[in-house]
Formats: sequence, C-alpha cells, structure tokens
Amino acid sequence: MSDDTLDVLIAVYLIPELAQQDFDALVGLIEDKTVVSEGVVLVSKDADGEVHVTETGDHLGRKGVKVGGGVGLVLGLFAPPLLAATAVGAAAGAVVGRFARKRVSAGIGEKMDEALPPGSAGVIAIYEHAQADLVAKALANAIRSSTAQIDKASAKELKTGLAEAGAGLGG
Amino acid sequence: MAPDSIDRTVLPIRRPPFAGTTTRTLAGCEPDWNQAMHPEPPEGAPNVLLVLIDDAGFGNPSTFGGAIDTPTYTRLADNGLRYNRFHVTALCSPTRAALLTGRNHHRVGYGMVGEFSGPFPGYNATIPRDCLPFPRPLQENGYLTGAFGKWHLTPDDQQGYSGPFNRWPTSLGFDYFWGFLGGEAGQYDPVICENTTIAGVPEGKDGRQYYFQDDLADQTIGWLHRIRSERPRTPWFAYVATGCSHAPHQVPREWSDKYRGRFDEGWDVMRKETLARQKALGVVPDDCELPPRNDAFPTWDSLDETHKRLYARQMEVYAGYSENADWNIGRIVDAIEEMGELDNTVVLWIWGDNGASMEGTLTGTFNELTTLNGLTLTPEQQMGLLFKHGGLEAWGGEMLAPHYSAGWAWASNTPFDWGKQVASHLGGTRNPMVVHWPSGIADPGGVRGHYTHVVDVAATVLELAGLPNAKTIDGIQQQPLDGPSFADSFRDAGAPEHHTQQYYEILGNRAMYKDGWLFCQRLQRIPWVIDPDQLRNEFGMSWDPENDPVELYYLPDDFAQARNIAADHSDKVKELHDLFWQEAEANHVLPLLGGLTSFFGMVPPIPEDSTFVFRGDIQNVLSGMIPRIYNHSYTISADLVIPPGGAEGVIVAEADHLGGFSLYVQDGKLKHHYSMLGVLEYTQAAEQPLPTGEVTVELVFAADAPKPATGGEVTLHVNGEPVASGRMEHTVPGRFSGYAGMDIGRDNGLVVDLGYADRAPFAFTGEIKQVVFDIAPHMSEEDARALHEHAAQSLAAHAASA
Repeated sequence: MSDDTLDVLIAVYLIPELAQQDFDALVGLIEDKTVVSEGVVLVSKDADGEVHVTETGDHLGRKGVKVGGGVGLVLGLFAPPLLAATAVGAAAGAVVGRFARKRVSAGIGEKMDEALPPGSAGVIAIYEHAQADLVAKALANAIRSSTAQIDKASAKELKTGLAEAGAGLGG
Repeated sequence: MAPDSIDRTVLPIRRPPFAGTTTRTLAGCEPDWNQAMHPEPPEGAPNVLLVLIDDAGFGNPSTFGGAIDTPTYTRLADNGLRYNRFHVTALCSPTRAALLTGRNHHRVGYGMVGEFSGPFPGYNATIPRDCLPFPRPLQENGYLTGAFGKWHLTPDDQQGYSGPFNRWPTSLGFDYFWGFLGGEAGQYDPVICENTTIAGVPEGKDGRQYYFQDDLADQTIGWLHRIRSERPRTPWFAYVATGCSHAPHQVPREWSDKYRGRFDEGWDVMRKETLARQKALGVVPDDCELPPRNDAFPTWDSLDETHKRLYARQMEVYAGYSENADWNIGRIVDAIEEMGELDNTVVLWIWGDNGASMEGTLTGTFNELTTLNGLTLTPEQQMGLLFKHGGLEAWGGEMLAPHYSAGWAWASNTPFDWGKQVASHLGGTRNPMVVHWPSGIADPGGVRGHYTHVVDVAATVLELAGLPNAKTIDGIQQQPLDGPSFADSFRDAGAPEHHTQQYYEILGNRAMYKDGWLFCQRLQRIPWVIDPDQLRNEFGMSWDPENDPVELYYLPDDFAQARNIAADHSDKVKELHDLFWQEAEANHVLPLLGGLTSFFGMVPPIPEDSTFVFRGDIQNVLSGMIPRIYNHSYTISADLVIPPGGAEGVIVAEADHLGGFSLYVQDGKLKHHYSMLGVLEYTQAAEQPLPTGEVTVELVFAADAPKPATGGEVTLHVNGEPVASGRMEHTVPGRFSGYAGMDIGRDNGLVVDLGYADRAPFAFTGEIKQVVFDIAPHMSEEDARALHEHAAQSLAAHAASA
C-alpha cells in the first residue's frame, strides 16, 4: 500500500455523548498534527430523529469556525434532501479539505441517516492509512466501524470508498 | 340462606331442605325463601385484594429498601405490615399454582410452567380436581371473584378457541377473568382473553397508545364498580397479577426517564446502597451480610463506557416499568377507598412470583425470544441488533421486546444471591409481601419476620373469610392444604410461626428449610443458559444430584444466606438432606428435572394432524396454538377471490417484526416476509400483480433438512405457477413470539413487515375462502422424531424462562 493511501472510516455509536467524546479526541490528534486528516464529521441523530452534523473539514484540524454559506468536505457528501433537514453544528471547519468543493455525492449521508436510530451517532473520518491505529484508539467507543482504502485526490475514489465502508457496516 | 344451616365443607353448597309447606294452591302455603337464595359468605367476611407482581426481587421496591419508587406499596406497608421472610417457589407458574391452590407446586402438577406439560404427576401442568384453587371455595360460598392480568396456569396447547376450558380461570373459581393466559404479554399489544373468549389485541383510545397496565387497573376497577352496583354488601375477591416486571420490559418514557442517571453507578453499588437502605428500614437485620460476590456477574468497573450506559438505561426502563405497576395498583386501591371499602379489604401484595429474572443473559437482549429459542448472540451482535432495531431510545418502547442484563436481576435480589429459577437460594425464593387491613392489624407499620410461604395464602384467606377448606368439591374429596394460615400474625407480632418446614425445587435447584435451617444444593448450571448438549452431558442419565455442592445456612443468624456452615454441621446436613428426599417423594418432585424430559429423550407423542384449514374470520390464534411450521418443510396455501380492481392486504400473518411471517399482497403483488427473531429478515415478492377472480396462492418452504433452524428455499406460486423465490438461510427453531398471535386476513398488533406498518392491520380487501397449512414434511421417521424432540425442548426452554 502506498503512502498515498487514505482510509475512509465510518463508525457508529450507541451513545451520542461518547461519539462526541471520540470525535473531540480525533480532532485533538488532528490539531496537534499527530494525525493528518482530510476531514472528520460527527453525525448525531437526536431522540426526535433530527440529524445534527458537526464537521471539521479542515485537514489542519481547525475547529470552531462557522461554515457560513458553504459546506465543507464531508458535508459535501450529504445530498441536499438530507442537508435540508439537517442542523449544521457550530464546530464546522472553515478551511475545507481538498475534496470539499467537489461535492462528492456518495449517498453516504442518506445511508447514515437510515443507519442511525434516534439517539445515536456516527463518525466519518478520512485520514492517512498509516495512522489507522491512532484513529482506532481515538474512536474507542464505537460499537461498530468499517474502513475502506482509497487513493488520494480522487473524488471518484472517495465515493467508492465511502460506499465500501458503508456496506461494511451492515450485517 | 341462613348461615347456621350451611355445611360449607361440601361444595357446591347444597340447596337446603324445603322448610315451608305447600298445598294445592297458594292458599295456606308457607314459603321458604332460602329456596331461592344463593349462599352468602359468613357475616363480616372481608373483601380480599391479592396482588402479584412478576419477575421482581426483594431489593426492588423502595418499600423494602430498593431503588424503585413504590409509593403505593409503601403507603400500604406503613399502614399495614411488611413481611420480610415470605417465600415463593422461584418460577412463575409454580408460584401461581401454589398461591391459588394452597398446595405445593409439584403436588398440583406445576414443577414446571404452563407451556410444558410433562409426563410425570409433578410436571403435567394440570391442576388436579382434588386440589382446586381456593377461589373456588370462596365462589361457592358466595364471594364475588375476579382474576385480572397474567394467568399462566392453562397448558400452552389448551389456549385456543376449542379449549378445553377446564383449566381456564373461569373453571377454577373465578366468576370473571380479564387478562392473558400465557407467561408474558407485550404491554402495548397483548392478546387479551376475557373469560373464555379471545378478545384480541386492544387499541388505544383518545389518541393515546394502548398500555396494558393502565387497562389492567381500569378493568379491575370497572369490575368492582359493576359488581358493587348490583350487590352492595357481598364480599369480593380480586386477584390482580401484573405482567410487570416480566419481559418484555416496556413502559412509556415518562416513567423510565424519571430514573435517568439513577443507575449510572452500576449493580455493585446498587447492591451496597440497597442493603444500607434495607437496614435503615428494618426489613433486614443490622448485621445482615451480603453473600460472597458471585463471579457469574461481571463487576461494573470491568465494563466499557458504552455498555455501562446501555445497562444503566436497561435498569431505568425496568424501574419505570415497575413504578408504573405500583401506580396502577394504587389506582385500584384508591378506587376501593372511594367506594368506602378499604377498611374492610384485606390487601395481600406479593412483590414477585420469583426473584428477578436473569434470563436476559449478561448483556441484556433486544428480543427476549432470541434467548428462549436458544439463539446465542455475542455481545457485539446484541449491540448491533439493538442499533438496528432502534437503539437505546427504543428500549422500553413497542419496537423491542427487551430484557435487562442478569447483573441487574442479581442486584434486584439484594441482599440475596442468584434469582429466578434458583430455588436453592433466597434470590430466587424470598420476596416482599405487604398486608394491609386497617380493621385487622394491631400495629400498622410493623415488620413481621415470620417464616411464611406462598402456599400459606390460601389457608390465610379462607380463615379471614371465616370459611373452612372444602372437604369435597363437585363430589371429589379435596386434599388438605399444605400451607398453614398466618392470619394470627396480623394482630400479634408474637404469634408463633406455623410454617416450620418447606421443600424447594425448580429445575434441579433444591433446598430444604426446617426450623431456621436451610439446606441447599444448586444445579451447577447458569440459569440463563439452556444448552441441550450441556444439559444432556452434565445432567442426563449419569447425573448424580448428590454430587452437587452442599450448602447449609442458619437463617435466624444469617438473613441473606451468606455463611455456608455445612462443614460444621454434618448431622444437620444429613437430616435435611434426607428430609428433602422424603418431601420430594411425597410431593411428586421426582424425578428431578422432570420438567426437562424432552432434553433426555422423553418426548410427547408426535401429533397426528398435519393439515390445518382456516376458514372465515379467525384472528388472534395464540402463539402456542399455531400450526408447527418450525424446522421442516411446509406449505401455506390460500384460495382467494380478487375483485376486478385488484386487492391488497394480509392473507395470513403470525406475530411481528421481532419474529414472525406474513403472506400478503401489496401493490397487487404477492409477497412473503419472514423475520427470524429480528436477527435476519427475508422477503420474496412476485413481479406481476395477482390476476383477478378466483386465485390460489401458495407458499412452499423446502427445508434443506429436517433440523433445528433449518435453511431452505421459499417459492411463491400463483395458480400453480412460480412467481417468486428466495432463500432463507436460518429459520426460527422454537417459537416466533411469547404472546403475539396469528391472524387470517390481517396482521393485528405489531406487524411482521414494517413496510405496511402505516396501514396496519392491513386487512385483506379481497375475499379469503380458506388458508391451509400443510406441515407434513414427508420426512423419515428418524428425522420426524428428532424434530419432534427439538420442538419439545424448545417448548421446555421457553417454559423455563416464562
């Protein structure tokens, strides 16, 4: 596997609070440059079924800047119907990753929406494959996760990887 | 009828000799109005409200120091009495049988539960005619009698439209019955029986979701109002048995949310805190010690955070569920008070027919039927399936049939060890009881430490009613009661203990109590594991029960069975050991494990009928009465008339999305959906719409082999032509549901395929002439016997947990 390989990981959580905890831990690793990420997103669904998305689309891992009118890397993965019903969290990154503007529509948003029961959460992360162990440790509370590998800089690859990782969550 | 003229020991009470005179005309006649009277209870006989909670532990209600708020129970206890050495049998039906008959459970055929009728007198699930329940003498003596809620004393294969009805409540001493016959019911979608009618699945009113416990209280109160409107003075006996706190653990959120965070510290802390409260309340002695920690249950600290949160939520739901039961019983008590009758009503309220249930396995489960079908799921699988079926938010709602972790049951039984099924240990057998009777209790708020047992209730109630036990009923000589009355302890805290010895036995777990000493031998089996191979290998023909570890306790000094002193008292061990076997023989306990015969090659005769035809409007066939389609090939065919515009709806459906099947028409096309206990789901669908006119559809399941949970090929046919097919890799081996029924032409209650849930019950819009099940699998005699054996084992396994 080349150094250019990226992991696309989808993890699901029974407890949203623990997903937030893991998300924060991973973002911390990105912020201190321990992990190089193309983006991480936290998707949570509240008890009423409303989906909330929090993103760091910044490969530098900066958090806390409002997205404004744009969407970042992973929000770009969500199709408009889902976004329309989605409350975008306040921790979205301002500087988007290299895939962000490509608006990859892998259908992963809908799949996450379908897969998450009310009161649960999921994390999607894209990072360098070499750092898989570090990411796995950070996402320790996931009840199930699935990973696919893609080559860098290819929106098509990303779409495929997301689909593959999503499929791996089944069963 | 004049009281002094009545022989109340021979029932029914005979019409008295005519004491008047007759002539050719009315002129000169002396009337005798006793000829037209019904028997009346003795003057001053009180009303009796007997309440039984299900699957709950000594350490559950706050009234006894538990973590669950039970204000009604406490109100009655504070104005009545707490009995802290009251005992049950450690299993559902056996306790109910002992409670109502006043005889030891094996002696009335209930060494096991109603789902399993075994081939030995102690295990045939058939209350003998010479041991009739005490409501019958009450009834024959003029009491008005009603039973509400869980029954669980009618054999599983006698719960249909064809009866026989002689083991239904109304044949055993109750004027009126409303509730469910089996061991459990969904709280949102039970199948209700009323007297000998299967009334079906009730619906909510006024936009509110139906909830069984609310209805249970409504129905009880309604009956009290009705009988009182007609008979202002006649005493009544009401037996109210909740479905709570048996699985499925279901309660509206407002009840469980009250407990948010209350169990975050886990079961180890809960045991300690409960014990401290119990001591403060005086329901356990100050020097009470917890038994040595039981390694069968993981320490809370060993769990990861996700499981801690999951398990805490499981207990929050159980607690809310239980508190709701307390609240609804409170509504009944309030209604009695409003009627002005509480002072003259004896309330006997037992919190648990056995200790809390450990049958949810260590992880708890999203669907209790997985365990009961012998489907072992890993913790990861349990977690994944919970996620699939709605996650933590769904726990307590209608979409899951959940049961909490065994760890909570263990904590619920504080200060004792083990729980349900384990008759050798107090966690299975010692439960709280409260007695409330303002006009009959000398020291309200008192605690009674008398050794008492569920078998004593019959004699107690009869004494309070001023009635003797019947010598004969219907000409049949009645066996004496096994339990003595404890009524004298109501007024006198110093009244002597009358119940001085008692055997215990459930599923091989056994004990002998005598004068404070408790000898016990526990079958070395984890209660939540019913593994046929393990049972056969470890407890089969080569099993010697004498090899089970021996324990001995002196309970007056050791309330919680914490100090095993067998090694220091070999004489006492021998005495009680020998006494156990004497009692076992006298009470039909033998053979041990007589309720699990099917695991050891003793199976009922193979049924001869293999074709079942359903014509007309047949609904709510109870789960034990559906054609046995499990584990082999079968066909289901239906003769339909499809109108010119087409038709849609359910042709036949059993149970729900957590286990069941449905053959239906949607968008004009024939479909079959099969849920393997919510773990796997299969659908086959035709591509073309059904033709109009007379149409025959058929589902053919061709099993790979006649074996448990067999996979196989499904083919759907329309007018003999295949229209769809698909493979089902695994099928349900034992039972789709613990309570949900089968319907022709609709899918009552929760539906099988959630794809038509918004149209439930999705009644068929064409005509169904008949639905025919053919379960003759044309298999070899050897295979037929093997499957039959498995079916019997599944029933026994389900029964052990019911």
